[in-house]
Amino acid sequence: MTEGSSAARAARMKATWRRYNEQVAQHEVEPSLRIGISASFTANSLIPFIGAHLAEAGLKPAIELAPYNQIFQTCLDYKSHFGAGCDVLILLYRLEDIVLEEIMSFLHGDAEAFRRASAKIDTLVSALTSLRDSFTGTVIVNVPPFPATLPVHTLSLENPHGLGTLHRSLATQFLDKVRGIKGVRLFDLDAVQRECGLAGSFDSRQWYLYRQPFTDQFLLEAGTLLGRMVTTTRQPPRKCVVLDCDNTLWGGVVGEDGIAGIELGDEFPGTAYRDFQRLLLYLRQQGVFLALASKNNEADVWEVFEKHSGMLLKREHISAWQINWSQKSENIPKIAKALNIGLDSLVFIDDNPMEIEHMRSAQPEVHSVLLPEDPADILLHIRSLTHFDRFDVTQEDRQRADMMRAEQARETLSSSLTKEDFRRSLELRLDFFSAQPEDLERITQLINKTNQFNLTTIRRTLDEVRHLAKSPHHRIFGLRVSDKFGDYGLTGVVITEISSDHAFWIIDTLLLSCRVLGRGVETSLLAALADEARADRATEFRAAFIPTAKNAAALSFLPDHGFQNVDDNQWRIALSDVPEICSSVTLIRDGKRKSDGS
Amino acid sequence: MQAPSRVAAVFSEVLSIPPESITDETSPENTPKWDSLNAMNLVVALEGAFNVRLSTKEIVSMRTVGIVRKVLRTKGIEDA
Repeated sequence: MTEGSSAARAARMKATWRRYNEQVAQHEVEPSLRIGISASFTANSLIPFIGAHLAEAGLKPAIELAPYNQIFQTCLDYKSHFGAGCDVLILLYRLEDIVLEEIMSFLHGDAEAFRRASAKIDTLVSALTSLRDSFTGTVIVNVPPFPATLPVHTLSLENPHGLGTLHRSLATQFLDKVRGIKGVRLFDLDAVQRECGLAGSFDSRQWYLYRQPFTDQFLLEAGTLLGRMVTTTRQPPRKCVVLDCDNTLWGGVVGEDGIAGIELGDEFPGTAYRDFQRLLLYLRQQGVFLALASKNNEADVWEVFEKHSGMLLKREHISAWQINWSQKSENIPKIAKALNIGLDSLVFIDDNPMEIEHMRSAQPEVHSVLLPEDPADILLHIRSLTHFDRFDVTQEDRQRADMMRAEQARETLSSSLTKEDFRRSLELRLDFFSAQPEDLERITQLINKTNQFNLTTIRRTLDEVRHLAKSPHHRIFGLRVSDKFGDYGLTGVVITEISSDHAFWIIDTLLLSCRVLGRGVETSLLAALADEARADRATEFRAAFIPTAKNAAALSFLPDHGFQNVDDNQWRIALSDVPEICSSVTLIRDGKRKSDGS
Repeated sequence: MQAPSRVAAVFSEVLSIPPESITDETSPENTPKWDSLNAMNLVVALEGAFNVRLSTKEIVSMRTVGIVRKVLRTKGIEDA
């Protein structure tokens, strides 16, 4: 980034913030996001950059600043500065503001001074812990930047009593301890300083005149990053990127230049397109679907995907596509529908300004991004998009795109085979197991979110489930389902109560995630449960069906499997009448524990 | 009425006040919006607009718009 463009961007953001505040003053905008900032230095100049970023993202911030250098007080009593209605607290500090004397003593050879500095950092961590306990909103604190304002040069790092070593030790200590406090966001101010360089970060005149240490460029980068973090706590990331192909995924036009003529691979500009594909694969593994919207012959595009050696993207990475000669604005709702997401979850990327303009006017909910004209600019430009920002990538995020692909493969297979052949070809595997302590969180999640295939819809907290798991009169079972296309994970739960004479089992809870229904899973689950009950000398199941507005899917489960209605919604079946496991299904018992060898 | 001077344009933008209200006598004492925060913003904006670097001594001396013009003249900017 050149200095000119960064100065222009800084001026633009300051103007945005001024306009926004005029609107607030005239009551045209009612702020709804209250942010408090407490810093060990004068942080007024940071506010326009955070504020402008949030205002541009559609949030309506009101930003207040605590008196300078009172971050400990803010942690211990945030209400005295910001009142009770605060949504976000941002704490900013520099080592030289809180442990200057300790640092200087250490550099003068007083080894004990390190311990004193370290103890002060621990005090800050304790203060943060106490803030986290008393404040329910978002807490953001920075990793301290390298102390650039001290009268010390760092020539090399081999001296264990040097400033470089001290900074690293204290920053790492702080980082490790804050990671241990749940729900505190860490803001890497040191990375901002690296990005701007020491010379570009520190403004000695403003420091001496106003106790404001940073340049506009630094404040711009820091404010933008903070704005992104706050936005991420308030807005879900976009779920899918919809890509043009020609001159977007590769250079050139495959329909005209042919597969051998397009630019993609080891030579520029092919290298730039390959880096872009690498970025797309990274997004995919963060849980973002990749889709194609291209005006092309479909066969030409897939030929590139399958045969071009420079392609990092493979056909199986693409979750949905519309490759035809229709308007992309008409194609894009079909992509959203195929992925079962809203248009406001899509980002559309194209190199053609006309396509972008057309999409913006026809589908304003879709965020449309024009690819930079120079391929060398693609990577940095797309990487700076904030629409995919997320803090924590869960296992489910990582597998989302693969699970969607597996689902599509199943549908393709299902439409080409008879029902029985389809089931057989799926190679369905069920693992039915007694729930272990580590399963209970997921089981509780299923208990509380499964609406459709749920016999009784009894909701329970994690504590209640843990209690049941210890009860000698109850059993909790889980079901994992997989097939040849992929793993559905833990998707079924049964809780039974055992009569005191062990003669019958009462089915308290029986639920299955709707993703696994209808392939013989229900029948096999009941058969596996009956095996358990027989091993416990029981002879009968008793069950209730409690109707809700949403569980019609489970209505016929009991009669279909031979349960007899005895009273109202009460049902019974002798274990000898329970149907056998479906022949198309492989059942394993306690599979995970066996494979773990425990 | 003549177009506002370049210095007046910068002050007007940063302080959000009309350019015609800005004279050589404009100072923090008679202009509430010229507070210490905006003093920082003015330094950054003036340095950007005139492509100069101001020393702390110069920044501290700039107590009126007239003095700002004088400082800029010492840096070869005649049409400030």
